Amino acid sequence: MFEYVLSAFTPLNIALALAGVAAGTIIGSIPGLTATMAVAVLVPITFSMPADSALILMGAIYTGAIYGGAYAAILLNTPGTPSAIATTFDGYPMARRGDGDLAVSVACLSSVVGGIVGAIALLLLAPPLAEAALAFGPVEYFWLAIFGLSLIAALSTGDFLKGVIAACFGLLISMIGISETSAEVRFTFGSQTLLGGIEIVSALIGLYCIPVLIDLVATPARHLEMPEKGRGFRLPEAFGKLMLNKFNVLRSSVIGTLVGALPGAGGSIAGLVAYSEARRTGKGDEKYGEGNPGGIVATESANNATVGGGFIPTLVLGIPGTPPDAVILGALLVQGVKTGPTLFAEGANIVYTFIFGLLLATILMLPVGLMIGRFAYGAIVRSPKAVLVPVVAFMTVIGTFAIRNSISDIAIMVVLGIIGWIATKRGFSVSPIVLGLILGRIAEQGFVQGWTIGDAVGNLWGQFFGRPLSLVIIAMTLVSFLYPFLPQIKRLVMRSNPNPVIERDPAPMSAVLRDGISFLIFGAVALVVVVESASLNPDAAVFPRTIAMGMLVFVAAALIKLVLTRDVIEETAEGSVVRRIAVPTIMLGGVALISTLGFGVAGLLMGVALMFVAQHGRASPQFWLTLTAGVVITILVFTFGFRNLLAVPLPAGWFL
Amino acid sequence: MIRKTLFAAIGVAALGLAGMSANAEEFPSKSVDYVIPFGPGGESDITARFQQSFFKDKFGQELVVSYKPGGGGAVGWSQLNSMAGDGHSIMGINLPHIIVKPRQGDVGFQTDDITAVYMFHYTPDAIVVNADSDLKSLQDLIDYAKAYPKQLTFSGSGKGTANHLAQIIFDQKAGIETTYVAFKGTGASVTALLGNQVSAQWGYTTVGAKQGDKVRLLAVAMEERHPAFPDVPTFKELGFDMVSGAYRGIAVPSSTPEDIRQKLSGMIAEINADPAFQKQMLEGGFAMMDIGYGADLDAWMAARTEDYVAAAKSAGIID
Repeated sequence: MFEYVLSAFTPLNIALALAGVAAGTIIGSIPGLTATMAVAVLVPITFSMPADSALILMGAIYTGAIYGGAYAAILLNTPGTPSAIATTFDGYPMARRGDGDLAVSVACLSSVVGGIVGAIALLLLAPPLAEAALAFGPVEYFWLAIFGLSLIAALSTGDFLKGVIAACFGLLISMIGISETSAEVRFTFGSQTLLGGIEIVSALIGLYCIPVLIDLVATPARHLEMPEKGRGFRLPEAFGKLMLNKFNVLRSSVIGTLVGALPGAGGSIAGLVAYSEARRTGKGDEKYGEGNPGGIVATESANNATVGGGFIPTLVLGIPGTPPDAVILGALLVQGVKTGPTLFAEGANIVYTFIFGLLLATILMLPVGLMIGRFAYGAIVRSPKAVLVPVVAFMTVIGTFAIRNSISDIAIMVVLGIIGWIATKRGFSVSPIVLGLILGRIAEQGFVQGWTIGDAVGNLWGQFFGRPLSLVIIAMTLVSFLYPFLPQIKRLVMRSNPNPVIERDPAPMSAVLRDGISFLIFGAVALVVVVESASLNPDAAVFPRTIAMGMLVFVAAALIKLVLTRDVIEETAEGSVVRRIAVPTIMLGGVALISTLGFGVAGLLMGVALMFVAQHGRASPQFWLTLTAGVVITILVFTFGFRNLLAVPLPAGWFL
Repeated sequence: MIRKTLFAAIGVAALGLAGMSANAEEFPSKSVDYVIPFGPGGESDITARFQQSFFKDKFGQELVVSYKPGGGGAVGWSQLNSMAGDGHSIMGINLPHIIVKPRQGDVGFQTDDITAVYMFHYTPDAIVVNADSDLKSLQDLIDYAKAYPKQLTFSGSGKGTANHLAQIIFDQKAGIETTYVAFKGTGASVTALLGNQVSAQWGYTTVGAKQGDKVRLLAVAMEERHPAFPDVPTFKELGFDMVSGAYRGIAVPSSTPEDIRQKLSGMIAEINADPAFQKQMLEGGFAMMDIGYGADLDAWMAARTEDYVAAAKSAGIID
């Protein structure tokens, strides 16, 4: 074993691991730039390297990118990668109250622990874990997705019915495009833009980040509280939070490793499952969802554990555990390394060298991550809004484009952002929508495949409810669904207090009307789906129709409840309406100009316009000059970097 | 900074102009964007990656692989003709996808919209079972399917795809009735096979190359046996006239000039002729083919179209 450590820790490999982690962290911190893309760009460079060094470099980038996703999640409420979705739940509230630096440090420590646990599992348990992962069939993936949906109860802010309706909406929009299991075109209404479906990362950016930008410009208040001077990394404090969560971090790392080892699940589900468990058993002063560091600990340790976990099926079975693994698999084949059953037996050298390299990269992530995290925090906290808004808006646009080089994805992203903003204000939080969007396709595929198999062997019931693993997941789902209602159930059973719910005053008629209209809109969406489903083949129709029917029932229940109780949960929007409307309008305008003016010019126009929208009060010409220079230079650097370093084919139009 | 930016901007503009006036002699004058209309890790990606290193060695420019997944390839192909037609933008194409998809509904492109310049390999269809499966031969499988109609389940990648069409055609030829379960990509379909979620897989020879001793190929849909699997019979040997698979090639936007199309075709042919490239491909379980730009390719495409449309019609996939 020791000789592998030596061959892993050559100066070249150490340098590659360090550079890889740093580059990965930066790439992952930009919303839209995913680990998959970071690794894909690197592949040609690795052709001229020895295979083990190439693997270490790609593994390091991958690890760094998964961690880097935490920055945007904490500081901008935008998961930089899908793995960091649950990081936003507590990370952003922490940043809002001025603890962003602590949150970033907690994320770094947790990521390192998770990464180490995952890598050790890869080292010691890879072959048995890979075999175990194969026991996961279509039905288990279906139930796993349903388990993920059980988080709705916890994530809906105050109103469970609204959360369920939002989740149904997310499930339905995940069905748009060509169905994977039936090859049928669904819910595109003749539009070719929608053919490829809603791309998940760009939807995340839209739903989470655009509402933040819209609210940011409305008032002159700072984005995040300024920290006191000289607090440093707050490392001892962060370490204390981690110790407080020592069971949480271990449990989440194990969850991350196991979910990572399932091909077809991935970091986003690992993070959500770990968060759900942490929340259920949660301790600490703050509530989960309102800035409890335990939420960050759970998500970040779980998603970094998926790196090691995901390599298990990749190396043992030759089946990629996560999308970045798929790219790495391709690069390995070109190198002449055959992954699959024979690798651990015949190619042991390269495997063990790589695993120690991955461990090294994970440990290096501690200093590198803390330093880059501190820089990111400082940059976001100190930037005036007039810089922050245009730069972040441009990042969302270019990042969304880069995912699959599509201009229409940017427009979809902004539109989803508007929907997300309105939904949030009406008390439907965006997280259930995202949950539905991510889990919808997994649930549908598992369901249709499980149904086809069960139907063929004439045992549908056994297929869905007779497999031991399925039963375990179903039990976990029930616990997770019912847990938030435990106090109510207890009261019902004890009958001690017949009417314990805190009574809110009946809302004014206008608010009731607003809520009524939003329910009717969701109801209309469900109706359209039911009608459209009639012309689809049964495989393509069964899932969306079932969801839409359920959604209609929930909408009806919500309407009845509304009329009876006049209980309305909504958020008020303070500040300038005009500025708010200006943000998505300018962004859509910029998108429309891209193909004629080129990405750079359209981006610059959009950036400068947003700068004026975001600036409140008068400022000196000098201030404007520095501001403009800052925004223009950043946008140009990004444009050139994406085009020339990352080889993203940004449309050049006339000029840039 | 601003100065540098300006220079860079002028440089980019100059390159753009050069691109417009590109002719075949200077091609390729910069890196070539190679768009794969699928995600990473599949057969299309891996063979593109194989080509990548040879391209750079032979022609001195980078071949930059990027992914444009969505709609089983439709997102990429529907945008093919809006890309720059100077030869520096090319896209991978797959059969039967480009023939079957546009006939299933409006997917944003027609088969005729795609200007193919070269077909460079295919992955022959194969029936794959787990190494410990009771199905030792194709005859075992047919016997089982006859004894238990519909109960024999096949995993495969997608619907209306090579795997799916192969299942339908073989069912007809063998007079059996089996159940096809569509998975997202070959990886997921292999996972289902390895986990015993299905009885067998309609896959490719590449699955056998990757999984080694874990799986057994019952038959391959080739004219002659694959050099990597000398012991595996062809369907033809066993009395079923089936030579099929997923064919992969390269297309250019329709605005690409004739001489550049021809030059590109020659370049891909040159890579295909390299023994080192062939060795890599064959070891990976792929099968080589060489159909270059021109009348040959048109004729081949027409013949495939006829076959696939007939098969898909009889299967009820298209009207």
